Amino acid sequence: MDPFIKELKEKFVHSDDLFLHEEEILDVPVLLVGFKSLIDFTKTKVTLQKYIDTAISSQKTIGELLNEIGEVKEKDLEEAVSSIMTGKLLIISNSHRKYAVIEPFHNMLNRAIEPPTNENILQGSLSSFNEDIKTNIGLIRKQINASNIRAEFFSVGSEQKTKLSMLYFEGQADKKLVEKIRSSFEKNQDREINNLQNLAKSLGFSGWSVISKVNTTELPSETVAFLRKGRVALFVDRYPFALILPCFLWDMFTLENDRNYPIPLMASIRLVRIFGILISLLIPALYVALVAVNPEVLRIELALSIAQSREAIPYPALVEILLMLIILELIIEASVRLPSSIGPTITMVGGIILGQAVVEAKLVSTLLIIILAATTIANSTLVGIQNSLAVRLFKYVLVILASIYGVLGILGGIVLISAYLASIETFGISYLNLNYAKEGTKNG
Amino acid sequence: MDKSLHVVLMYLLVHLGLIFFLYPNDIISSSDEGQWMPIAIGLLFHFVLVWIYMKGLSFFPKQNIIHIYSEMGKGFATFFLLPVFMYLMLVNVIGVRAYSEIITIIFLSNTPSWAIIILFLSISGYLAAKGLEVIFRTGILLALIFIPIIFFVLIATFQNVDWNYLLPLIDDDFHFMTTPSYMKSFSAFIGGFLFLGFIAPYLTYNRKKVLMAATLLIPFFVFAVYIPILTFGHGTASRFLFPYIMAVDSTYINWLMFDRVTMFFILSLVTFIMLHLSLLLWMAYQIMNHWFPHQPLYSILSFTIVTFITSIMIIDWKAVERLLWWNSFLQFYVLLTIPLSIYFIGRRRKGRA
Amino acid sequence: MRIIPLKLLITLCTVFLLSGCWDTKDINHRSLPIVMGVAMEDDQYNIHLQIPDPDTDVMQVRIVSETGETVSQAVDKLSANMESRIDLLHVKVIVIEKELAKEGVKDLISGFMRAREVSPKALVVVSDEKIEPFFSNLNNTTDPQGTTLFDFFDKDAGWSPQIALTRVWELYRSIHSTTRDVVLPIIKSGDSTVIQHLGSAVIKNGRMVERIDPEETLLVNAFYEESTHGKVEVMEEATVLIVGNTMDHKSRNIDQVPYLNSQLHLKVVLLETIGKPTDKEIRTALETQLTNRFNEMFSKIQESKADVLGLGQYFRAKIPSEELKKWRSEHYPKLKMEFEVHAVIRNEGQIKLGAD
Repeated sequence: MDPFIKELKEKFVHSDDLFLHEEEILDVPVLLVGFKSLIDFTKTKVTLQKYIDTAISSQKTIGELLNEIGEVKEKDLEEAVSSIMTGKLLIISNSHRKYAVIEPFHNMLNRAIEPPTNENILQGSLSSFNEDIKTNIGLIRKQINASNIRAEFFSVGSEQKTKLSMLYFEGQADKKLVEKIRSSFEKNQDREINNLQNLAKSLGFSGWSVISKVNTTELPSETVAFLRKGRVALFVDRYPFALILPCFLWDMFTLENDRNYPIPLMASIRLVRIFGILISLLIPALYVALVAVNPEVLRIELALSIAQSREAIPYPALVEILLMLIILELIIEASVRLPSSIGPTITMVGGIILGQAVVEAKLVSTLLIIILAATTIANSTLVGIQNSLAVRLFKYVLVILASIYGVLGILGGIVLISAYLASIETFGISYLNLNYAKEGTKNG
Repeated sequence: MDKSLHVVLMYLLVHLGLIFFLYPNDIISSSDEGQWMPIAIGLLFHFVLVWIYMKGLSFFPKQNIIHIYSEMGKGFATFFLLPVFMYLMLVNVIGVRAYSEIITIIFLSNTPSWAIIILFLSISGYLAAKGLEVIFRTGILLALIFIPIIFFVLIATFQNVDWNYLLPLIDDDFHFMTTPSYMKSFSAFIGGFLFLGFIAPYLTYNRKKVLMAATLLIPFFVFAVYIPILTFGHGTASRFLFPYIMAVDSTYINWLMFDRVTMFFILSLVTFIMLHLSLLLWMAYQIMNHWFPHQPLYSILSFTIVTFITSIMIIDWKAVERLLWWNSFLQFYVLLTIPLSIYFIGRRRKGRA
Repeated sequence: MRIIPLKLLITLCTVFLLSGCWDTKDINHRSLPIVMGVAMEDDQYNIHLQIPDPDTDVMQVRIVSETGETVSQAVDKLSANMESRIDLLHVKVIVIEKELAKEGVKDLISGFMRAREVSPKALVVVSDEKIEPFFSNLNNTTDPQGTTLFDFFDKDAGWSPQIALTRVWELYRSIHSTTRDVVLPIIKSGDSTVIQHLGSAVIKNGRMVERIDPEETLLVNAFYEESTHGKVEVMEEATVLIVGNTMDHKSRNIDQVPYLNSQLHLKVVLLETIGKPTDKEIRTALETQLTNRFNEMFSKIQESKADVLGLGQYFRAKIPSEELKKWRSEHYPKLKMEFEVHAVIRNEGQIKLGAD
């Protein structure tokens, strides 16, 4: 046997879905190699047969035929392995010292294009990205008919290669930004990218930043809007989201879909989201501050009814609120974990615990329940799950500061958070940038 | 890049922080009637000095005052920058101490002032260590969040005014010029614009816009003094340590769920002061860095520790007042010599070229 | 580099955890009195506090009392004896016994302003009876929230235009002002209602010098351009409801004698008529009734040299400020006051005037 084939077999030992099919093409014995799990063999073979038939009638040699239907390569084991891994069909002839890489019919391993699962859209285009990077880029190209979209492909990782692609609008995107992203991928060629933390590392971001420096969206319509504003979108194969760079604070409040409403409605929707962040950050801290440190700020009627509802509660306001906040976080986390068929149970049990039993057992005050509900609801108005997670975390900073310094602590905390947000930079572009699109065009 | 908006907002915030606490009392106790005159003279100083300073700086594009002085020679630089450095540190100490005391006077009466000082210093130290641009961007966020509150309260304080207290308008003798409290009031008039000379290589700005910001401040300078006077009359207002805060305290808003809006007002201003302190720390670091180049973290950490220790050593409000009085001399020296010297150096350089 | 802030953070956390939080005291461990009664007994302040006591099911109101050299001492003694700390932050009404008001409340009010614990917005009220029976009666009839007295003076609740509203800061201002005095409402516990309003005390330099009745207080309120909306005026010819009021003043100073012309413009709505008066008759009757009442009141307060209308304010530009310091003693008694009322009957109700 050909040593090459032997090596190949050794490489894929115990990979039972590998097939080595002996065949004769134009009377030359060849070996078809590929993964059964990735290749629709029957269909591929039928098509191959058609090529062979035409080749016979036009009297081509096998070399010409292979050149026509695929790429003929020297016998390089590494490359052959990676071709097989990515689902290609190899035609290896024993006599020649070459093999051909052929694009076969794939097994249908991708989802169809479906409505989004993480982001709900009220009035707007419903298709969302799926795991296949080519489908995603195709969706973008379909969404916008523009010749100046650039899609650059990278392949990173030393052992496992991951396909990455960078999309941007030529002429809109800042050239420097594009160059920086490109060079950081090239520099970190050997880093493997399995998750967003890896990606952030290879883009040169610190892994400790609370605010995610890439904005994610699974909607082609949103992505196109970002591209048009001069941002850069990254796609990672098998990751059904577009990663938008750079990411700004204002993205927390805006969706491109808002522009499908009249301007006053759009403005009020965005205002609601701004209230959302303020309420979810401030209200728990205000509760602690007003109940424990600065009760003189409350109106007397309110102060009395809070005092009444807190009567016989055995621990200080800080402990009370932390306890309930943690339970609430657990409920949120649990409802993500559980399959959707059991999910409602959690909601129900959580609702019973929070709404009734805890109050009746005199563990927390009724007002606190209202505050927690308001906080959680407000938190969910923010665009992007990574943003609302960050806000959920910031809330605790404020609560703890409020328990020490009261209202002063809250405002001090706001300064601290503002300073933190102000200090975030992505490739030298501030997180607080408001009119990036304008500047982007200027530079690009 | 033109960052006029950043600079203008910072200019507003820094001054708003200075205007509402000590300044009304200084002006009210310096003159019995016709307080607009001391205010106008102070504002005149403010405008002239800011104009000279900016004009002088405009001769040196992309250079801050440290570069300008060091070009003139090492001795020259030390001669001008050492007082500036001392002034910055002193203002920092006084600011931290005074405002922590104000907070314990107005609320948080049981919290020891060192705890408040720690909060002040850690926040402003963090900001300062992050660098100038972060300070300015934070300023924008804070302005967005807090300026509406300030406006709301400012409008609400007109509730109890009695316009008759405006009269008499003219105070024919100028004895206020010689009172120590008028001298102290200048910390609000001229204490806030020094930073314009430090930001040059990082941020550039339009001079006209800064002057417009200064114009925008005029009503605040006027209201901070006149609202307490119109509410209480001079006789009563002069008895208060913080007349404006008393005036805010006497407003009664029926429909608000909060009883004492004063707290939100004061604390919004306190956040501006934190911003100002961080700017002071950063400027001090810049000067230090010029003498001994090093990482910002080290000097800012040591500055905050020094400030903490010194401000804890100040035991009472009397001492704070005394320090403010001493500081007003240093302040006059620094804030007259710096703009004027920059202006003349600039003129000479231009003449030569 | 990275370690230093972390270390700092840890140190800070330990410091705060060890030393605790200084101002932290949960609201249910604080007693929040709403009404404070102050009386003087043998040179000692006698303090009564009405404290709503939130129980789990019902709100109860307690009255506690203590004496002390100063108000703070009395409160401190109370605090020590009670299971929760007393916070005067929410005191809404300060009731001063008449005897104490006559003696003077200057130090008391200064103390409130200085410590800032009591809000400067708290109302000051004079009690016509002893403070002790007043509070015990208040407790018997009061609603479970304990805010009765506060609601009585609340503009959104039980206030009516013949009740004077004076807050701590206004009283403090009057003590240190040369041209302005205040009136404080006088109340006592009522028989069928919780509180009975008796009129107002004229306070000059922190001392009660005179009293005026509710009708006269209405004029004082009108003078301050407080809304007199809703006050019913009864005359021989008709009964009207005041729906709007504005004031105009003209001041002159001729030969050291101050003159003031004040015009009250009233808008009224007709409620009832007796007989068949004409529009003009009703107006004239109203105007003369109010003018006479004003003149009567004015001569009374001018005699007591208390400028509750703040008339000196109108002479700030006319009299030099050095002279104005002697306003109460020298100029005010000489003041010639002209008071005119101009009434407009805005409408006559559903029935035409003279139709019945």
